[in-house]
Amino acid sequence: MTTRRQMLKSAVLGGGATVVAATALGSLGPEAAFGQAAPDIEPGAVDPNFAEGRIRSIKDNTLLVLGSNMVFHSIRVVDGTSLWKLGPVSFDQAKPGDGLYARGVRMPDGVLAAESVWLNIVNIKGHIRNITGDKLHLDHGGKEILCHRIPGKSVAIYSDSPPSADLSPLRVGQHVQILGAWRPDTNEVDIATVFSAH
Amino acid sequence: MARSRPTDPVDLLGPVQGEVSWFCCGAAWGPCGTVGKGACGTCNSGSLQHAWPNTSDACWAITRPDSCGVSLSRRTCGFSHRTTALCGGASVVTTIADCGPQTDLFCGERSCCGATCASNRLIDLTPAAYSRIASLSSGLRPCEISA
Repeated sequence: MTTRRQMLKSAVLGGGATVVAATALGSLGPEAAFGQAAPDIEPGAVDPNFAEGRIRSIKDNTLLVLGSNMVFHSIRVVDGTSLWKLGPVSFDQAKPGDGLYARGVRMPDGVLAAESVWLNIVNIKGHIRNITGDKLHLDHGGKEILCHRIPGKSVAIYSDSPPSADLSPLRVGQHVQILGAWRPDTNEVDIATVFSAH
Repeated sequence: MARSRPTDPVDLLGPVQGEVSWFCCGAAWGPCGTVGKGACGTCNSGSLQHAWPNTSDACWAITRPDSCGVSLSRRTCGFSHRTTALCGGASVVTTIADCGPQTDLFCGERSCCGATCASNRLIDLTPAAYSRIASLSSGLRPCEISA
């Protein structure tokens, strides 16, 4: 059986962004890529099939990314790649300056054929220092992160309850985890999900 | 056969179920840019690593999983755990590179996928490790941890 990983690899070897038909890969949701066999890598080691950094430029279907450790990555986006930026987005939402994490298949020439690209995603924990209008002021290790509620996008999960658009139960002093999209070069984040223990 | 005392760390008795999230460390961008390389001095978002709540007395004093009724064994930098996502069954083996998560701040929290649930934050994975078993955009998942 041809796996999603094999399909991505063949897509890149085929040389084009549109070689792989989305239907051939099944669901385009990010969860679709997980649970499939990945090559063994020594625990603790750098994962060659993963990349992080900030987009320096975009050429055709390739993101040129400078890793925070100053290593360059070429990340190829194909039809089967899922992209996230506060939610599923299309490739044209990727911009120079965006931070990213990407997972895929490292090709022999060093290009990462991307299964998933998460743009500006952050997952931070802290105490709610203040709540003003649609903003949570989060104390994250002594630094304030201004977290914006985005109507239609932001939800809260109160323990095992279903996601709710109602953030009003959140209280000052409470400890929360905020998954969201960083606004590049600021201390501000757009909220995707607030995780609250109660 | 000797019987286990009630205070035995649950992870010594077999796989333990709890919640898994992800955290960044090492060279990074955005709010992660100042987090450093973790308690072990080796943590890196791109490596297959994790944070464990009981790496030292000082670590335990911060994370206090016992306040949520969970006892976990002392495991130090470099020790390997396998984390298996209860949603989907994918797993990853990682080594300890930091102290965390702060279990006591989320006592009793439960995350589910469908009817499969687990309570209390017991492990945090690096983005490289978490993205092997779930989408980073999921943020928090029930899991099983074994040594």
